Amino acid sequence: MAPESTSRPRLAAGCRWAEPNGAERMLLYPEGAIRLQGTGREILERCDGQRTVQQIVEELQTAFRAGDPAQIQVEVAGFLERLQQKRIVDF
Amino acid sequence: MVTGPLALIAELTHRCPLHCVYCSNPIEMQKASAELSTADWIRVFGEAGHLGALHVHLTGGEPLARADLTELVAGAHAAGLYVNLITSGIGLSEKRLAVLIEAGLEHIQLSFQGSREERADEIAGTRSHAHKLQLARMIRQFKLAFTVNMVVHRQNLDDLAEIISMVEQLAPDRLEIANVQYYGWALENRDALLPTRRQLEQSQATVSAAQQRLSGRMRIDYVAPDYYAHYPKACMGGWGRRLMLIDPAGQTLPCHAAGVIPGMAFESVRQHSLEWIWRESAAFQKFRGEAWMPEPCRSCDRRGEDFGGCRCQALLLAGDASATDPVCSLAPKRDLVDEVVRKINSEVGPVPTGEPPVEGWIYRPNPH
Repeated sequence: MAPESTSRPRLAAGCRWAEPNGAERMLLYPEGAIRLQGTGREILERCDGQRTVQQIVEELQTAFRAGDPAQIQVEVAGFLERLQQKRIVDF
Repeated sequence: MVTGPLALIAELTHRCPLHCVYCSNPIEMQKASAELSTADWIRVFGEAGHLGALHVHLTGGEPLARADLTELVAGAHAAGLYVNLITSGIGLSEKRLAVLIEAGLEHIQLSFQGSREERADEIAGTRSHAHKLQLARMIRQFKLAFTVNMVVHRQNLDDLAEIISMVEQLAPDRLEIANVQYYGWALENRDALLPTRRQLEQSQATVSAAQQRLSGRMRIDYVAPDYYAHYPKACMGGWGRRLMLIDPAGQTLPCHAAGVIPGMAFESVRQHSLEWIWRESAAFQKFRGEAWMPEPCRSCDRRGEDFGGCRCQALLLAGDASATDPVCSLAPKRDLVDEVVRKINSEVGPVPTGEPPVEGWIYRPNPH
């Protein structure tokens, strides 16, 4: 299920950022860890339970001016939906 | 340079109030008097964090049987590890869980033996099912990641749709449905546990439908039994490649079952640093990489994916820990697995579906 533009995504219970031994920041979750780069990380770092999906989209559109705004909107929604299915993000 | 381990499996104790007929603990269990001290474990967690481990899985036996569990959770958390507790729930209370979470517990995995009380209790060798249902509802009141572990086999696989409905009511984040694999205690009870092909195919369809229906609410992972696989699993992600297990007495192993492999010296954290054991000890190097591989593994395109499969399964089935895992369809000894599967699927199989073995279960005892 895709997120509503007004919902406020946050990390799910048992998911957190970590910088083990000064290594690059990664997201720890119950079965593993992911090291995200690019837009994925930009999106996930904004999942703080405060920002709405719409705000995240707008911030990404500002940060990636060269990108197609409509495409960014689709990508954010798809990314959040996939991470919610993995139980990494709640919204 | 060898990296890792990524995660540590800490078998804090082999003591357990349950006696599950497929327990992953070795037949030869460690006694309570041989268990590592609180300080030993905390030192080990610190070394693991330093080596780059990200997760620690506190398991047993029943880890709640350790009176110092809160200190151990706090020690692992202080070492920067993500702390997961794998438990039957026996010994957990609302107050104790609150304290564990305060100490740094982030994820709890609660095991169930099925959806039907009488049959689940029979598998566990003790009355526990009804209590686990209460515990699951209590756990869900807290803000931590919650997984239900469901072990399936011939006796309960026909109940799978009912099992999933039961777990759905408990609202965990994840449901891990794992078929029994055949080592140790499970191997002793294999004739009564190995499912039929019909059951397995039906279960895969049931899981797929539930995954679609529950998408975004409860994640469902399903692990099929090796004996029905076409290719072997990448056991533990490869020998000495990602995971290190420490048993209650401090013996280090690449997996739960490796203690059965003869001629190996599994070093103790009482004598050596974790780093030395991981990088230098003979046991962790024995089946690391590809040099040990026989044909057909050595020239197989899949050798970087499954690492030749499981060494313990090779030993238990083919009598040689260096052999290709016999569950692989390319293995010279695959006929050993085919014979077991054929027997289970024949009309005159040793035990009909859903009935306990005539000669009775072999239960895992509690070590002294």
